[in-house]
Amino acid sequence: MADTFEIEEGAEVPEHAEVHDSHHLVHESTGIDNRKLGMWVFLSSEFLFFGAFISNYLLYGGRDFDSVVPRDIYDIPFTSISSFVLLMSSLTMVLAHHALSTGDQNGTKTWLMATALLGSVFLGGQVFEFTEFIVEYDMTLTSNPAASAFYMLTGFHGTHVALGIVMLLSLFGIARREGGLSEKHGMNLELVGLYWHFVDIIWIVIFTLVYLIGAA
Amino acid sequence: MSDTAHATSHPSTKDYVRIAIFLAVLTAIEVALFYLNEAVGMEGWDAPLLIGLSTIKFVVVVGWFMHLRFEDSFLARFFGAGFVLAMALYGIVLAVFGAIVLFGGG
Repeated sequence: MADTFEIEEGAEVPEHAEVHDSHHLVHESTGIDNRKLGMWVFLSSEFLFFGAFISNYLLYGGRDFDSVVPRDIYDIPFTSISSFVLLMSSLTMVLAHHALSTGDQNGTKTWLMATALLGSVFLGGQVFEFTEFIVEYDMTLTSNPAASAFYMLTGFHGTHVALGIVMLLSLFGIARREGGLSEKHGMNLELVGLYWHFVDIIWIVIFTLVYLIGAA
Repeated sequence: MSDTAHATSHPSTKDYVRIAIFLAVLTAIEVALFYLNEAVGMEGWDAPLLIGLSTIKFVVVVGWFMHLRFEDSFLARFFGAGFVLAMALYGIVLAVFGAIVLFGGG
């Protein structure tokens, strides 16, 4: 498996090794940065995490219970706009990455903040939706298995979005404090970007299976 | 892939905007299909169409926004393996529990 180690001053660099920055030697049999490989493996494992909640919803979401079930009270126009907002945040995220790759530090900061704002709008929409379901329809986490499955799935997705916003704002803060993102932080931006896009593709699946097909 | 080749093969800002517009149009078609099914009834055709459209969106975001199509195929295999494993595992789970619900009255 690949490993990373520090280069000693004056040390010989093995032929098969790649130098990624002035401080680190990345020795990789795969030829891929370990952090990036780690992120892809992590995201791959996240399919199993979200798969469990999606399966749970597919099993219980279509069944009838004595109390109100999510499929009867979905607000499709509202959720469609939320989905559009999250989709556009993927655009701003990739533009932040693209701006950094072209050396446009101001553009990077702007697009990072735009992504965090769009993520916040999506999250605000989810809070509004949950509040409406609880206050107006009295559908809580423990109302019935369908409601539990819905809140667990969308709630964990929302938690991922919230974590992504924290990472985006952290990068924005670093960029502001240091006057831009260095090559080292450039990789961090790429990793946060991968995480953010993954959160988006999970929502693409949730929006279709849970909302559009679920409510039909 | 070298860094230079890696950088030059990536889409431009305009390409990213075009991709985002394409994704937005697919989302609009999905929502339109939902209402079309509500209005006239599509006799079960809505679900495969919606899954097909969301699969296209999924592939486009992973391929272009996550740059997987420009990366080493090793990453694609890792990512794809996780996806296939999850699909297989939960496919079995849904089949088993679905059968219990249908035939076992669970």
